[in-house]
Amino acid sequence: MDNKSLSLLELTRLVASLVQCPETQNVWVTAELSDVAVRGGHCYMELLQKDERGLQVAKARGVIWASNFPRIDAEFFAATGQRFATGLKVMLRVSVSIHSVYGFSLVVTAVNPEYTMGDLLRRRREILNRLKQEGILELNRQLQWPAVPQRIAVISAPGAAGYGDFINQLYHNPARLRFVTRLYPAMMQGTGAPQSIIAALEQISADTESFMWDGVVIIRGGGATSDLQAFEDYELAANVAQFPLPVAIGIGHERDITVLDWVANKRLKTPTAVAEWLITTGENALGFLISVGNRILQLASERLTGNKEQLAHAESLLPVAARNAVERSQSRLLNAAANLSGVSARRLHPQLTRLDMTLQAISTAAANRIARQRTRIDNAATLLEALSPMATLRRGYSITRVNGHAVTSVNDLAPDTIMETTLADGTITSKISETKKSNLQ
Amino acid sequence: MNATPVKELTYNQAITELEGILRLMQSDDCDIDRLAALTRRATELIAECRCRLVATDEELRAILADLEK
Repeated sequence: MDNKSLSLLELTRLVASLVQCPETQNVWVTAELSDVAVRGGHCYMELLQKDERGLQVAKARGVIWASNFPRIDAEFFAATGQRFATGLKVMLRVSVSIHSVYGFSLVVTAVNPEYTMGDLLRRRREILNRLKQEGILELNRQLQWPAVPQRIAVISAPGAAGYGDFINQLYHNPARLRFVTRLYPAMMQGTGAPQSIIAALEQISADTESFMWDGVVIIRGGGATSDLQAFEDYELAANVAQFPLPVAIGIGHERDITVLDWVANKRLKTPTAVAEWLITTGENALGFLISVGNRILQLASERLTGNKEQLAHAESLLPVAARNAVERSQSRLLNAAANLSGVSARRLHPQLTRLDMTLQAISTAAANRIARQRTRIDNAATLLEALSPMATLRRGYSITRVNGHAVTSVNDLAPDTIMETTLADGTITSKISETKKSNLQ
Repeated sequence: MNATPVKELTYNQAITELEGILRLMQSDDCDIDRLAALTRRATELIAECRCRLVATDEELRAILADLEK
């Protein structure tokens, strides 16, 4: 065996010279990003390839030198709204490099953001389709915020600028709207973010009974290292979609929306925009109260004025009305009286006539009767005169009595009987000497 | 009239009642006898709603003091 050997450096240089041929330089490669870190202006990353089950089948170190990184980063961000971050699928132009100390690495010289965009859209579509198939995509969006949301559970990274802005805005609102907030801290970026946010949601759910939250706000200040991949997560989206309280999102991105924005009830760009929305809602409610108050005041005074006018009108009518009423009554009375006399005249006249006639008849009848009675009396008097014994006596007749009893038969008399004879002008006492019965009877 | 004390109403109930009063006062069958009562009730409701929406100075100071911690 030839004991001539190569130094390590010679070997690596040999490998490098063999590998660094035109076929390995400036080739486009697709990979998934992992462990992205920026140090000293250079961007280091791991490039991965996984199979369908998620197992790594290839792995390589990648680097973007500081001379290229700002340009590539800006280009990528402008197109995708994303920074280089774990989980992103990328298409990079790389050159294979073998370094005697650092070994195999891929030096990135360009990026094709469209590939990443396409991949993100495809992944988002998959998540959205799954949520839709499960019938939960729209659930949170169908919830209603109360008329004035005032009790707000906030999910944010503690100490984050976005959280501070939100709280400052909310509690320094000029209308002095009353808000009650509580921070439920969560990691807002990195691979642990979805689980951390889900845990915060669960805590809010457990607290809802005691805090009576009106809704949830998930906020994150927009920073240079925005990593929206955390929000492109099925589990997180499914949790938000099915959360029983309405969720508002302000995760500090302008140009792109995440799956979370699709499922959340309210999507706003930044934490301050969420605060503004809450304040505006409250101010509108205050404005409504003021307008209702004014309207009620106006209606009440209109009603009062109307009624006062009506009353004044009635008042002004009252004296005239009274006078008119009296006058009307008087004229009615007069008419009635006039009518009455007419009526009585018509009614009385025949009666009076009848009465007069009756009176006349009565007096005539009485006079007739008196005359008749007088005649009868006269007749009777004449008769009486005729029948009276005095008249008889005067005509020569006399009455003979024995012992006071008138004598009508000779049979009642005997001789020597004392008898008394009454004449018209006196009496004779005599003694019977003889009786003789005549045959005249 | 609904005599539920305003403190016991939810904000939405109060607003709904307020709108009802407004409608009643706009309609022709608003009795002048009830006008004062309606206006008083509306005023109470508005005051209560405002009170729910707006924090007092002391409350604000307390909240902001909490935030400073």
